[in-house]
Amino acid sequence: MPGTSEQITRLLEEGMAAIASARSESDLLDAKGRFFGKKGAVSAILKGVASLPMEERKAVGELANRARAELESAFDARLAGIRDQERRRSEGRERIDVTLPGRAPMPGHRHPVSQTMSDVLAAFRRLGFSVQCGPDVETDYYNFEALNFPPEHPARDMQDTFYIESGAGDLVLRTHTSPVQIRTMERMKPPVRIVAPGTVYRSDSDITHSPMFHQVEGLAVDRDITMADLKGLLTEFCRMTFGPATPVRFRPSYFPFTEPSAEMDIQCVLCGGSGCRVCKDSGWLEILGAGMVDPTVFGFVGYDPEEYAGFAFGMGIERIAMLRHGISDIRLLFENDIRFLSQF
Amino acid sequence: MKIPYSWLKEFIDTRLSPSQAQEALTMAGVEVSSCRFLGEGFDSVVTARILEMRPHPDADRLSLCKVTDGSTTFGIVCGAKNMKAGDAVALAKIGARLPNGVEIKKAKIRGQASEGMLCSEQELKLAESSPGIMILPEDTAPGKPLADALGLSDWLLEVEITPNRGDCLSVLGVAREIASITGEKVVLPDVSFPETGEPIANLVRVDVSDPDLCPRYTARAITGVTIAPSPDWMRRRLTLCGIRPINNIVDITNYLLLEVGQPMHAFDLDRLRGGRIDVRAPKEPLTFTTLDGSERTIEAGTLLIRDGEGPVAVAGVMGGANSEVVDGTTRVVFESAHFSPPSIRRTAKRLGLSSESSYRFERGVDPAGTVYAADRAVSLLSRFATLSVAKGLIDVGAGNVKPKTVPFRPERATRIMGRAYPPEACREIFARLGFPVADQGAGRWAVTVPTHRFDIEREIDLVEEVARLSGYDSIPTTYPESKAPEFSGDDRFVDIQERAFDFLRGRGFSQAVNFSFVGGRTWERMGAFLGFDPADAVRVVNPISDDTTLMRPHLLTGLLSNAADNVRRFIDDVRLYEGGKAFGKSYVEGQFEEARLGVILCGKRLPGDWSGADAPADFFDMKGVVEPLLLHLCASPVHVVPTRLRPFFEEGKAADILRDGEVVAWFGAIRKELLEEYALAGPVFYGEIRLAKATAAAALPGRYAPLPKFPPVFRDVACVFPFGVPVGDVLAMVREVSPEVVEAGVFDIFTGEKIGDGNKSVGIRVKLQPLDRTLTEPEVHSIHSKIVNLLENRFGGKIRTS
Ligand SMILES: [Zn+2]
Repeated sequence: MPGTSEQITRLLEEGMAAIASARSESDLLDAKGRFFGKKGAVSAILKGVASLPMEERKAVGELANRARAELESAFDARLAGIRDQERRRSEGRERIDVTLPGRAPMPGHRHPVSQTMSDVLAAFRRLGFSVQCGPDVETDYYNFEALNFPPEHPARDMQDTFYIESGAGDLVLRTHTSPVQIRTMERMKPPVRIVAPGTVYRSDSDITHSPMFHQVEGLAVDRDITMADLKGLLTEFCRMTFGPATPVRFRPSYFPFTEPSAEMDIQCVLCGGSGCRVCKDSGWLEILGAGMVDPTVFGFVGYDPEEYAGFAFGMGIERIAMLRHGISDIRLLFENDIRFLSQF
Repeated sequence: MKIPYSWLKEFIDTRLSPSQAQEALTMAGVEVSSCRFLGEGFDSVVTARILEMRPHPDADRLSLCKVTDGSTTFGIVCGAKNMKAGDAVALAKIGARLPNGVEIKKAKIRGQASEGMLCSEQELKLAESSPGIMILPEDTAPGKPLADALGLSDWLLEVEITPNRGDCLSVLGVAREIASITGEKVVLPDVSFPETGEPIANLVRVDVSDPDLCPRYTARAITGVTIAPSPDWMRRRLTLCGIRPINNIVDITNYLLLEVGQPMHAFDLDRLRGGRIDVRAPKEPLTFTTLDGSERTIEAGTLLIRDGEGPVAVAGVMGGANSEVVDGTTRVVFESAHFSPPSIRRTAKRLGLSSESSYRFERGVDPAGTVYAADRAVSLLSRFATLSVAKGLIDVGAGNVKPKTVPFRPERATRIMGRAYPPEACREIFARLGFPVADQGAGRWAVTVPTHRFDIEREIDLVEEVARLSGYDSIPTTYPESKAPEFSGDDRFVDIQERAFDFLRGRGFSQAVNFSFVGGRTWERMGAFLGFDPADAVRVVNPISDDTTLMRPHLLTGLLSNAADNVRRFIDDVRLYEGGKAFGKSYVEGQFEEARLGVILCGKRLPGDWSGADAPADFFDMKGVVEPLLLHLCASPVHVVPTRLRPFFEEGKAADILRDGEVVAWFGAIRKELLEEYALAGPVFYGEIRLAKATAAAALPGRYAPLPKFPPVFRDVACVFPFGVPVGDVLAMVREVSPEVVEAGVFDIFTGEKIGDGNKSVGIRVKLQPLDRTLTEPEVHSIHSKIVNLLENRFGGKIRTS
């Protein structure tokens, strides 16, 4: 069949022309179908090779296979070209503006006081302290008496107290989280190592005082606890909270439930110690109160002061949050203005 | 307390400069919060004398003055009228910068040169206002720095005294403190004076009928005195320390109060009826007029000073109008007594009357100091007033004063403080303090504590003295021996709360912190809508405002007013939460409080969404927060039921969430009346979770169930129900139809004419999946029939065939 090779050559030419002129993917698939798809002309010739005379089979088969291979590679190239063109054309219409917001609310914000409280708790929990909470409505016994504030003692003036209506007349809003010390020691034997977070109340209100605020109290009692341990722990805490290079100082003070008592200052974070309005020109900021548990307090909970020693410390969270963020008016912390909250 | 440095120097010739004293006292526990130079702005201001004065040729209101500083003459133009030639005045020279910020420059005023300025008290910030320029005392020598002439080359220390250190509420006390720091010596001024009058016993008789409340009563009497103003230096010191000068007698008592810390009182002897003083607490209440002019009710048991007929003073707190020193007074009795601190405190509190003297008595006044104070008063007064001092003094209870002995072990200080305090070092500190030490052997000492140190009673108090006077700087920093911390129930709660906060933050909610107080007026007025039970309310006895009268029974009103405040500030999409306590007398375990979490939502469902769906948030947005949050926290199934028990929600738009049969949360749409109260246009959605209750039982670890190996079959059923049928209940029942039903959900819900008024169409999709086989067609059919049966017979539904 001498016509066959011409036929293949012609089909190859026609097929190449059809591929070249295909304007779309479907034109191209159409051309494939006609020429080298399963039912295409070249495929038909290949299928017919078996019926050719022996001497023609090899030549026709080779020719047809080569033609199909050429068509296939032209097809692949053209397909890529067409898809590329398509993509370029549709890009304008279907491209996504990735700068638009995603379809979910952006995260909300933690309140700076709550965040500071969490950070302070986290620091002490890492240092081996466990959390203990107590009630906001306390008895006079836990809030004052067992903490060595006897009735008619001027130390009670240190904390302006809200009283709660009750039959016995001995309920107060706790003025500090220190009652948790007593509640904890009543319940367990040493070693004790706790931090007590919570809200506290004082009948006082101005630019630096709020009738409600937050405190964290700490207590450690064991056989060999010393004031040096207290100083070490609190120095570590101040560095964790205010930065590793923060200078601190420890000076004597007074709290009825600790003896000896101390106050810890950090170098003023606003002026770096040179003196400013916030630190009243002293270069130092009072951060927390602390001391060794007074033996009288141990007496109330049945611990032997000759056998055990302990330290306690307490700090106001609002003050720390205000220093951290440079907030000067405490009232901002309780207005819950979303424009304020969203800065944290 | 304010103390001039110069006054301190009269009691201790310390080498410490004012600022060194500030630092040293602060680091020893007597905090000096400020140390101010009083002569600030007085550079180039000198005393001068007016030589001549004439009117300004071109200005009626101005004068031309020639003044001298003793060596140079200056021409000054002055606008004041209150001076005359010969007056001593304050001259600010060219270059001075006054306390009020004015800088003095050479000037020509209406053609006349002015070489400085004559200053007023106001310009020098010595007074709020002044009528003219400052006229100095006649004998003022010209040419001295004004600061020296006024005693302002001095520093004012502001000392913050803790309640235990009443002994430091005086110049003497702070001087003693400096002595214990530096080892320098306190020197008391000499108080000798001639006793020229008749014996005091002829003038006044003192009885102490209640010696428990008045352990010691000392008195001195003077006669022939004339009431007059005190000398300038004394008036200046009193003013600096915040006490208004009155007259020489009252001033001397106040001066001694500041100087040695002994409150004193001066009685006009001629007004003491019967020439008697009796210290006694009445058995019956009575009324009495104190010298501030107010009539006061005195309760039984309040310690009074009485004369022969009735009360003349509230002991230690305030004198009476009937016995105070007046202009014509010539004979005076000075009281210098010691009263029991708790008694004074009770009286001052009951009368709502705190005075400089009650403040000191409450904190403890040295019972050994009464005689010195009385003598010092008389001796000092006699230096500037003519008087005659009665012979002798009255001193009731002198024998009651005994110093304490307190045991001390140097080893104990070392153990408590964590640094070594050698015995010699302790001994040296006690010597500086003036505490005699007796060594009793075996490391035990007996330390004698003088009567002015009320705060020292126990060994631990002495340990503190040793530690603070050695300096806390010298305490090393060590770390407590570390042990694994316990994990308490409260540790768990704090963690759960953190998880809740994180969850809500992820959902776009910000955290609010409100007071636990709420305004009583709003709650009483809106009580019916807030679900307020007055009988369960926890109330504050002494609120500072209406906002602090009531402990909040739930968290709604705080968040509601936060929402309103934000909307007022043009923030319409509010998503806030708050973790805090709610209060009620009925709450658990003797505690009136419970941990809660409140969540509020108003505005758009998805703030900032751009895809056309700026739909307003609705009930299901709130449900879509509260329910998943509970699941997130307790990991056990919760059950949502409609509720009518929450009056703050709209009826029919409120639900409770139950866990193990107990209400652990509620949520819904805030009712209209409350929205109006808070000026919110609404709708506003709110949910509150009883956080501790909801998470009380920790979920047990779940058991593994084998996974199905065969493909599931899905069947959809569309059914028309009467409107009131709760779909949640329908789905719950469908799930119970057969064990093969593993899921049942809603894919579509609508109402409309097509399906009839009062009806709703609900599309339910069930997933059937047996564990061990493929379902056969008859099996599927059978389950389907059971479901249809349930929907029709149990819920009155009608299957829709579309
Ligand atoms: Zn500063």
